[in-house]
Amino acid sequence: MNPLLRLDDLRVTYGRVVAVKSVTLEVNEGQAVCLVGPNGAGKSSTLLAVMGAVRSRGDVLLRGTSTRGLRPEALAHLGVAMVPEGRHLFQTMSVQDNLSLGTLARRQGKRARIDERWVTELFPIIGQFASRRAGLLSGGQQQQVAIARALLSDPDLILLDEPSLGLSPVAVDAVFEVLERIRGVGVAILLVEQRAQRAIRFCERSYVLSDGEIRLEVTGGAVEDPQAVVEAYFGR
Amino acid sequence: MRPRLRLVAELAGPLSLVVVVAVAGSAMSIAQQGNAINVLVTATIVVALYVFIGNSGVWSFGQISFVAVGAFAAGLLTSPTATRQTSMPTLFKFLATTQISNTESLVLAAGLGAVFSFLAGLVLMRLSGLSAGIATFAVLEITYDVLTYWDKIGPGATTLALVPVTTSMTVGAVGCGIAIVVAFAYQHTRSCRLLRASREDPVAAQGLGISVFRHRLVAFTISGGLAGFAGALFVHELGSISTGQVYIDLTFATLAMLVVGGAGSLWGAVLGGMGLGVVDAFLSNAENGVAFGSVNVTLPNGMRVVILGVLMVVVLIIAPKGVTGSREFLERFLSKRPGRAGAGNKPGGSLAGGASVADDGSQAVPSPSRTQS
Repeated sequence: MNPLLRLDDLRVTYGRVVAVKSVTLEVNEGQAVCLVGPNGAGKSSTLLAVMGAVRSRGDVLLRGTSTRGLRPEALAHLGVAMVPEGRHLFQTMSVQDNLSLGTLARRQGKRARIDERWVTELFPIIGQFASRRAGLLSGGQQQQVAIARALLSDPDLILLDEPSLGLSPVAVDAVFEVLERIRGVGVAILLVEQRAQRAIRFCERSYVLSDGEIRLEVTGGAVEDPQAVVEAYFGR
Repeated sequence: MRPRLRLVAELAGPLSLVVVVAVAGSAMSIAQQGNAINVLVTATIVVALYVFIGNSGVWSFGQISFVAVGAFAAGLLTSPTATRQTSMPTLFKFLATTQISNTESLVLAAGLGAVFSFLAGLVLMRLSGLSAGIATFAVLEITYDVLTYWDKIGPGATTLALVPVTTSMTVGAVGCGIAIVVAFAYQHTRSCRLLRASREDPVAAQGLGISVFRHRLVAFTISGGLAGFAGALFVHELGSISTGQVYIDLTFATLAMLVVGGAGSLWGAVLGGMGLGVVDAFLSNAENGVAFGSVNVTLPNGMRVVILGVLMVVVLIIAPKGVTGSREFLERFLSKRPGRAGAGNKPGGSLAGGASVADDGSQAVPSPSRTQS
């Protein structure tokens, strides 16, 4: 059976700068997979390439079919949602308007796993601040709205780029609780994080990325050799 | 009640301004009436610019190309065929012999503007930011050169004369009103709402499944159609046209009007077009000399554009969103107070929406059955 997502020797360059040298990985249905690594390792570029937002070489296969040449909007309609770094909410629009845009890519005829009620239960602030301008929310609240907006497309795979960035420890805990609930309904997660230990513990499979290459693969959420992770993280 | 009132005000404000200019202009001298008609036609061009620039956030320097195409097509095909065959012997035969009515020429100009902008947009709408601006400027340059040097499709570098003068005060006002109604109707479509969302954050918009390219292309085409229509009004106002009249100066003046009024709202476009149109008309007259009682003032040639430029800079410094703050007419007073949702949050439905996600029969935020919690 084909994995939900497979990256095959993915390479991303910006002019002469090589952001991702070679990344090969798989994400199965309902599975959480993370990419950890230092700044500049190529994590965000990998996610952008999966979403078709940057040009890449190699191949991205969704359910065994190449997505080469597809633009982000097409990927969204195929069940891939992304929460980019920095949340990218429509700042001058209300929370409700942001959320209603999230429903654009819902697929007709598919049995829905996620609906507005489920999302509102998951993020009570949505009901509380529905008419408030998104730009007036705190960072943690914006992150919740960004994840909620992505979930409202009822995706099969959600790409999350540093969802805990800039959040308080309590808010970080809340983010990981939310991720657990998302995985619980069968949505696969490809997570990019700098909080390596936390992410590796959470995910079924983790890839340590450094200098645009995968240096280590960890499965099962247990780190048997912490020193190996540290060395891979710093590209030694 | 308030959203409906806001919707009415959004259309009534700009249309009232058209009526005020038309009525006031009709009460003036014949020479001043000409200026008032020019203000109405210029405002129509600014509305055409607004449809694309205001809604997409992409600055285009090429919309006057579509004005030019509309103006030359309408002017050429309504001018006397006998004159065309003698003064433009190199014209394609169908252009030399075809004669259409003035009304038909307005429709044709709008159609040509839309087709031309659609074709240009197929290439240009994939670009953003500065690249898009430069590329649209290239379209203006290409159009200018083609119209100036290809004498099989027009008068070339000479002036196209003997065009019937049919843009009266009434025609100018009705034409401007039509452009306003089209722009108003468009900005309440689902496509425009999504375009406005993409204006704020194209990356996020694409990630949500919005085809930025497609919605920009729609706006560019409608804008081109309105610009072509305005071009026909323009040529039937002047009675003649040369390529220099639909080139850099007009591009700069109309963009200045849009900036000064406020590029983000229809009210801003109309107010800027009318307000600066009046200033522009006064400055044009002043270049030929105007009398203030016993004092005659004559501005040096070219001062008109200089003053418009200075005005634009001053407004950009004091009010970057234009004198209207890019708000619709009375929006400040009629908006719902808590959580006012600016740009894309036009009344009349949800963003995804409005006419909306509901276009396909589903709810704004659909609630399919839940399988797990």
